[in-house]
Amino acid sequence: MALPITYNIRNVFVRWRATVATIAGIALVVAVYMIMQTMAEGLEKSSQNTGDPRNIMIVRKGSTAESSSQVTRAQLKEFNYLPQIARDAKGQPLLSADVVVLVSLPRRDGSGEANVLVRGVSPVGMDLRPQVSLVEGRWFTPGKREVVVSRRLSPRFANFEIGGKFRTGGKELTVVGILDGSSSAFDSEVWMDADESRSIFDRENYSSVLVRAKDDAAGKEFVKRIESDKRLPLLALSEVEYYAAQTKTAMPIKFLGNFLAMAMSVGAIFAAMNTMYASVGSRTREIGTLRVLGYRRRSILISFLLEGAFLSLVGGVIGCLLALPLPLLGYSIGTLNFETWGETVFQFRMTPMLAVKGLAFSVIVGVLGSLLPSIRAARLPVIAALKSL
Amino acid sequence: MTIGTFILKNAMRNKRRATLSILSVAVSLFLLVTLLVALRELTLPPEDIGAALRVVVRSKISIANLLPAKQRPIIERVPGVEAVSPFTWFGGTYKNEGGLTFGQFAMDASKFRTIFGDSKMPEEQFEAFQKDMRACIIGKLTAEKYHLKIGDRITLVGTIYPVTLEFNLAGIYSGTIDDRNMFFHHKYFDEAMGDMGQVGMWWLKVRSAEDMPQVITTINNTFANSSAEVRAETERAFQLSFTSMWGNIKLFVGAICTVVVFTLILVSASTMSMSIRERFRELAVLKALGFRRRELFAFILAESFALAMFGALIGVGGAYLLYTFGSVSKMTNGIFITLEVTPKIIGTAITVAAGLGIAASIMPSISVAKTSVVEGLKTLD
Repeated sequence: MALPITYNIRNVFVRWRATVATIAGIALVVAVYMIMQTMAEGLEKSSQNTGDPRNIMIVRKGSTAESSSQVTRAQLKEFNYLPQIARDAKGQPLLSADVVVLVSLPRRDGSGEANVLVRGVSPVGMDLRPQVSLVEGRWFTPGKREVVVSRRLSPRFANFEIGGKFRTGGKELTVVGILDGSSSAFDSEVWMDADESRSIFDRENYSSVLVRAKDDAAGKEFVKRIESDKRLPLLALSEVEYYAAQTKTAMPIKFLGNFLAMAMSVGAIFAAMNTMYASVGSRTREIGTLRVLGYRRRSILISFLLEGAFLSLVGGVIGCLLALPLPLLGYSIGTLNFETWGETVFQFRMTPMLAVKGLAFSVIVGVLGSLLPSIRAARLPVIAALKSL
Repeated sequence: MTIGTFILKNAMRNKRRATLSILSVAVSLFLLVTLLVALRELTLPPEDIGAALRVVVRSKISIANLLPAKQRPIIERVPGVEAVSPFTWFGGTYKNEGGLTFGQFAMDASKFRTIFGDSKMPEEQFEAFQKDMRACIIGKLTAEKYHLKIGDRITLVGTIYPVTLEFNLAGIYSGTIDDRNMFFHHKYFDEAMGDMGQVGMWWLKVRSAEDMPQVITTINNTFANSSAEVRAETERAFQLSFTSMWGNIKLFVGAICTVVVFTLILVSASTMSMSIRERFRELAVLKALGFRRRELFAFILAESFALAMFGALIGVGGAYLLYTFGSVSKMTNGIFITLEVTPKIIGTAITVAAGLGIAASIMPSISVAKTSVVEGLKTLD
C-alpha cells in the first residue's frame, strides 16, 4: 500500500527554509549544467546547419579542415566538367572553387587580435549556399577589393561595418555588405571574390571545391569517381558529412560542462541529504504512527524517496527556466575554433531533449540524496519512533 | 567543561551532519580553487625562463600564413640577433589519433640548443639528433604518453602538408615549460616537400634583453610594405595573443564559475545553519541560565567558523596537493600542462571560507536573539 503522493508534496513545504535553500541549490546546479549544454548544442548545431545535402565538397586527402586543404588548378580541371555536376541555365557547371585564408584582425573593443576566416568564393558560390543571405548593403564586386562580413562578426571586429576599411596582406579592403548565415558556420566568415583573394594573399591554389550534384545517384557516382582516380590526391564527401565531422571545438565545452555538473552535483547531493535527514528526524513520531496504521517499511522508503525526487524536480524545473533566456534572446558567443583556428560565432540552443536531460539529472541528484535518509526512516523501530518527542 | 570543548562537542554532536557540512564546504572550495587556477592558466599561460630572450616572427596576415625562406639572411644580419631558426608547425597525425596529439615543429637542428637553452638532454642524444637528418627529438611527457624510447620509429601523416614523414627518435628532452613537443630537421621537411621555399615562422634569440625592442622594431620595419609583411613580437606577447582568441567564452566561463561557487556556498551555509536551528531549545536553556545574546552568537559563530575552516583545509589542501604533485597533463587530457595554486588563490579561497562561516551563523543568530526564552523552550523541532 503506497502513501498518497500529496502527503509527500505537502511535506516538502513544511520545513520551508531548508527546503528553499536546497531547491535553490539544485536549481543553480541544473542551470549551470543546462547553460553549458545549450552552448555545446548551439556550437554543434551551427556546423550541422551548414551543409546542403545536394552539395559535394572536395578537399585534399588527409587534411582535417578546409583552411589546411589545397586543390590545385590542374586538379580542378580534371573534374570541373564531369557529367555528374549540375549546370545552370547558361550551361555552366554549378561549382565554386573557394580560397579560405585565416586573417588576424583587431577586435572592436581593442582587446587584441583574433583570427577570422576569409572565404574567397566563385560567382556561383552564393547559389550553392542558399542559407546565406545578404541583409544589408550589396555583394562585393570582383576586382574592387570589397568584402561582405557576417552579421555576427560585425560587432566583434574593428571596422566591420558598411564602408569600414581594414588592412591585410598589404592591401586595404572595404566592407560593402553584411551577410547572415542563418546560424550556420558561415556566420563566422568574411566573403570576397575567390580570384581576388588568391592574388591578395598570394595563393596559387584553391582550398576546397564545392559542387552541386545533379541528383543523389550522380552525387554518389561523383564521389566514387574522385576516389578511384589515383592521380587526384583528393577526397570528395557530402557537404553535410564534412561539417558534421567538425565537432572538435565543442569537446572542451562539453568536458567543462560535465566536470562542473559532476562536482556541483556532489555538493547538491550533500545538501539534499542533510535536508532529508532533518525531515526524517523531525517526523520520527509520524513515521511510527504510519507504521502502526499498517504502512509497510517499503511504502515509507518509497514515500521518502518520492519526496526527495519531488524536491529536486522543482529545483530542476527552475534551473531549466533559468537557462532559457540565453537561447531565447539569441545571445551569441564566440571562441577559437580548433578545426579552422578562426573565430567561431554561435548561439545558445535549447532542445526538448536537453530539458529532459536536465530534469533527469535533477531527479537523480534528489534520489541519491534521499536514499540514505529514506532507508533510515524505513528502518526505525515502531516503538522507539512512537516514544520519541 | 571549558567553552572550547563545549563548542567542539556541539559541533561534533551530530557526526553525520558535521561530516556532510565539512564535505560540502570542502567540495565547494576544491571547485573554487580548480576554476581559479584554470582561468589563471588560460589568461596567463606559464612563462618559460628562456622566453625573455626569444622573439617570434610570423606573417602579418595570420599565423597560418607562410613566410618566404629568403627572409632568413636578412633577419640574421639584424644587430642584436644571436640565432635564427625557421619554425614550421607540421600538424601531422600520429597513429591515426584524431584531435590533440602533440605539437610538431620543423626547425634548424643546429640552433635548437641556442634558442631553447632551458631544455635538458644527454649530450650523445643531441649529437645523434644533429647528425641524422631524419632524426627527431621529443618531449618527456609525450614520450611517456606513447611509451617511446630512443631508436623508435615515428611516422607522421601530414594534415596541412601532403607528405608522410618517418623519423628516428634520437633524443628525449625535458626541463622546458611544455615538455610535449617534437622537433625535427627543417631540411628533411624541405626535401619531402620539394623545396617550397617557405617556412611557418622564424624564431630567434637575441643577445640581451636590452637588444629586444630594437630587434623587434628593425624586423617589423624591414619587411613593411614588402610582399610578405611580418609581425615580430616577444614570445610572451605571442603566447598572450592566443588568449585574446578565446573570445568572450573566457568571460562567460568566469561568470559560470561565480555562479557555481555561489551555489555551493548557499548550499553549505544552509546546511550549517540547519544544525543551529535544531538546537533552538537548548539555546533557550542557555539563555535562561543567563548567557547573553552576544555569547550565544559567539558560540554559533565559532562553531560554524570551525566547520567552514575544517572544510577549507580539506578542499584547498586537497586541490593544492593534487595540482602540485599530481600529473596535471594526464588528468586534464593534455588541456593544461601546469595548474599552479598560487598563494593569492589560496588566500581567496580561505577568505571565501571565512565569509561562508560568518554568513552561515548570522541568520540563526538573529532568530535566536529575537526569540524569547519562553518561546524557545516551547519549540519542539
